[in-house]
Amino acid sequence: MKHWTENDFQNWLYGLKDEDQHVTECADCRAELGRLQVERRRLTEEPEVSADFLAAQRRSIYNRLEQGPASNWAAWRWVLSTAMLLAIVFGLTIPRWHQAAPAISDDQLFRDLSAMEQSAEPKAIAPMHDLFEQ
Amino acid sequence: MGAMADRLGANLVATADTRDFGAWMTSEQKRIFLLCRRMLQDFGDADAATQDTFLKAWQSLNNPKSKELDDPAKWLTRIAINTCLDRLRSKRWQFWRRRPGGEDEAAILGMAASSDPDAEDRLFAKEIDRRLKQAVEKLSLRQRAAFTLRHYEDRSMAEIAEILDLDVGTVKAHLFRAMEKLREELHDLYFHRGRK
Repeated sequence: MKHWTENDFQNWLYGLKDEDQHVTECADCRAELGRLQVERRRLTEEPEVSADFLAAQRRSIYNRLEQGPASNWAAWRWVLSTAMLLAIVFGLTIPRWHQAAPAISDDQLFRDLSAMEQSAEPKAIAPMHDLFEQ
Repeated sequence: MGAMADRLGANLVATADTRDFGAWMTSEQKRIFLLCRRMLQDFGDADAATQDTFLKAWQSLNNPKSKELDDPAKWLTRIAINTCLDRLRSKRWQFWRRRPGGEDEAAILGMAASSDPDAEDRLFAKEIDRRLKQAVEKLSLRQRAAFTLRHYEDRSMAEIAEILDLDVGTVKAHLFRAMEKLREELHDLYFHRGRK
């Protein structure tokens, strides 16, 4: 007869394994089941909670009951903080999208235009002149 | 479940009587607080969740549409578990929250009175309990709820399924995965000193 393993006992303790024929007939395994049940009851014994603490908690509950339904502040808090965050993000990013190209003064514009007009060659040809001069 | 809870369940149709509710709350308060404490692993959170649970119960009982309750204790447990799950979900986003302070730990330890006279046993049990709590924090929310209801409240699979609004197979799967994660801690808890 094969005895139950510790895993088997754990699974049985937590409702994941049913008792089988072996455990019903084996005195050792039955004894172990009994020991584990006692051990579990001991381990999960409810700790004492002070009566003062429970009384104070009940007073808080009664106070909240008298105040009526809780305000929706908790839900609104999230909505407001999300809205503020979005406002900040948009505030920082939108001006960049609409940022105009760097302004050029009128003088600079006229100088550039007149330079283009006076030269018969496209600007891209200028570096080639150096090759022929050498 | 106390007699008051039975009466509350049987008589309740539209409005809950404050005195009945108060007596029922007193009879269920400690159990609900400990359940919340085990689910949330935090004294202050458990206090707040317990209060929220009874407030929700009161509001629901005073709702004209509320129906007679078959099992008020189970119904209250479901409210408590859902309240704790909501808190745990919102806590996931609050990563900046500090861990419980020394005062909280002292309050918890002061709250727990051990019946075991052997100091070594007590120390060992505390150490294992601490490890188990740490391990429970690694479980998913459903796994945590299923394990807490099974380990501390000794609920049957069917009851856990009803409380969590899941089918029994799903509860078993959650519990199985929880057990896989907790096996080492549970092994030490039950088998550390060999078979007696």
